Parts: sequence; C-alpha cells; structure tokens
Amino acid sequence: MSDQAQNTGDSDELEALFDSILKAGGNDAPAAAPAPPPAASAAPAASDTAAPGAASDALAEPARSMFSHIGQMTRKLHDTLRELGLDKSLEQAVSQIPDAKDRLSYIATLTEQAAERTLNALDAAKPLQDRISDEAKALAGEWDKLVNNQLSVDEFKALVTRTRSHLNATVTNSDQISGQMLEIMMAQDFQDLTGQVIKKVVEMAKAMESQLLDFLLMFSPQGAAVIHKQDDPLLNGPVVNAEGRTDVVTNQQQVDDLLDSLGF
Amino acid sequence: MADSNMRFLVVDDFSTMRRIVRNLLKELGFSNVEEAEDGQVALHKLKNGNYEFVVTDWNMPNMTGIELLKAIRADAQLKHLPVLMVTAEAKKENIIEAATAGASGYVVKPFTAATLDEKLKKIFANMNK
Repeated sequence: MSDQAQNTGDSDELEALFDSILKAGGNDAPAAAPAPPPAASAAPAASDTAAPGAASDALAEPARSMFSHIGQMTRKLHDTLRELGLDKSLEQAVSQIPDAKDRLSYIATLTEQAAERTLNALDAAKPLQDRISDEAKALAGEWDKLVNNQLSVDEFKALVTRTRSHLNATVTNSDQISGQMLEIMMAQDFQDLTGQVIKKVVEMAKAMESQLLDFLLMFSPQGAAVIHKQDDPLLNGPVVNAEGRTDVVTNQQQVDDLLDSLGF
Repeated sequence: MADSNMRFLVVDDFSTMRRIVRNLLKELGFSNVEEAEDGQVALHKLKNGNYEFVVTDWNMPNMTGIELLKAIRADAQLKHLPVLMVTAEAKKENIIEAATAGASGYVVKPFTAATLDEKLKKIFANMNK
C-alpha cells in the first residue's frame, strides 16, 4: 500500500474508501459481495418476496451489495489502470486542460482586440469619407449652375476658392482614410496567431479524445458504446462543420424557407 | 418606412456584435439604439423604457434570448414588441422553437447588412397591417 501511495497523491484516501466499502460489503452481505451481478440482484428480490414484513432490511440489502460491487469494480479499474499505465496518460490529458483554456482565452482576447481595432478605424474614417462626398456633391451643383450661366462673377470667384479648399481637404482626408484602411488591414494579423493556437488546441483535443476512447473501449461493458451527451439541445453555438448534417441550416435562405414552409 | 427615431434595444453578450448591429442600424437610418448584455438586463431595461424594437442573440449568460422572448410575450406591457433573433444557433429545431415562441424574425450569423435590412422591413410591413 505504501508504494501505491507514492505513485499518486490521493491513493491513501482512495485506499481507505475502498477498504471501508469492501469491509461493509463483506460483513453485511457476504453472499452478494463476491457474486456476479445477476446473482446479486436475484438474492435481494427473493428475500423481498419471502419477508415482506421486513421492508427496511429488504431495501438496505440491494443497496449494500450494489455499493460493494461498485467498490470492487472501482478497485479493479484503479489497479488495472495503474498496471496499464493509463492513469498516467489520463493524468496527462487532464493536465492539458488548463493549457487549452489559456490558449482559447488568448484567441478570445486577440479576436476581440482585432474587432475593436477595425471598428475604431471605421469610426474614424467614415466621417471623413462622408465629408468628401457631401462637399463634392455641393460643388458639382455649383459648377452645373456655372455651365448654365447661372452664376455671377462674384459667385464664380467664391466657387473657385471653395473648390480649391475642397481639393486640398480631399488630399488630407484621403491620406487619413488611407491610414485607417492600413489599420484595418493590420488588425487582421490575429488570423495568423489564432490559427496557430487553434491548431495546437485541436491536436490536443484529438490526443485527449483518443486516450479517453481507449479508456472507454477497455472498460465500457458494451465495448465501444459511447453515449453522446448534450446539456441543452438548443445551445450549440455556430455550426463548425455542417457537412452531411440535415438538422441544421447553413444560410439565411434556408431559415426563410423553413419558416415559410411552417407558415410563419 | 418606419420612424427613424424608433427606439431599439440590441441584446448580445459580445460587445463587438452589439457594436456591429448598432452600426448597421445606424447605416439603415436608426440611431436611437440602446444595448444590453444579456436577457436579464434587457428585460429590466424593456420594463423601464419605451422601447419599440428588440434585436437579440440566443446564447447568453443569465437569461438566454429565447427566455427573453418568452418573457416578453408573457408580459402584458411588452408582448406587442417586435423581437428579431440574430444568432449563430442554426439547428432547425432552434428556428422552429423561436417561431413558435413568437419571434418576429430569425437571422443566422454571420449575416449581411442586406439581410438585416430585409428582415426589418418585413417586420415593419407586418406591424403596419
């Protein structure tokens, strides 16, 4: 027991738990403890019908033998895991989770920053663009009047002055817009960084999956029966891979068609 | 066309998405836009302010968009409010669930400005009927 305790930190507690469970099972249900599951479930059922008056005893009995079985199975699992070195690979898999969390939050931070940068640049550039456009429209109207001989000499002089200042302002504004466009382009640099990190997380997830699958295959009673469990069927987030799926829509047209077909 | 001063509430837990929707609405001529980061905050704001239109995400902490929609439809003061869902949830059962709960429209992310415009116009047209 002492060398086992050195292998894993929680072994002492686990050993104590196993021992207490086994002891309880051994004392109170000597017949059920070593027996295979069918015999264990048959025995309490028989006692139940034979002595209906002793209801509390009859209820406690199957529970005790169940716990004893679980205890024995857990012990066996624990020992086998250690023999196969699987406890180490599981430990390794678990130890990678904090790393993955860090990587994912890194991705969240970078993408948020990129979106923020892009939107800021747009906020700065849009008014400049609008100003150029508005002023150009106004001047074009004035020049049309001139062509139609609707301007006096003084008005013409004012138009020339305004046009010159518009051209100068356009140069300044265009340079600034150009700078903001560069900023938008640079904000996309997150793609490279997050792409690399995502690749690593995917690799890690694959490794974890195969380790856990090995574990399941070895110890699941039905062999490869893997239950796909989902917490809330309506909270799935974006469909990352829609290929071959018929339960999801992939574009707005399909949403509209579905709603139409239902009469909404 | 709807009143350009129409008061919008944009509900999404991601500030970037709220900002994008707000900018798109501004682009479409609606600049009276408020924001809320989840259904709970949104419901509180809706009960205390004269909002005329709700644009909401589905997956949010505290209170999801579908819960918000159901709460709005169950509230005598708010049940008439148009609610447009803008969400990444793309399962058919999600869309059916939203429609049966009384959503005025359903837009899947990623979406375009044209899609948002089209859905808003359709909702306005139904409102004026």
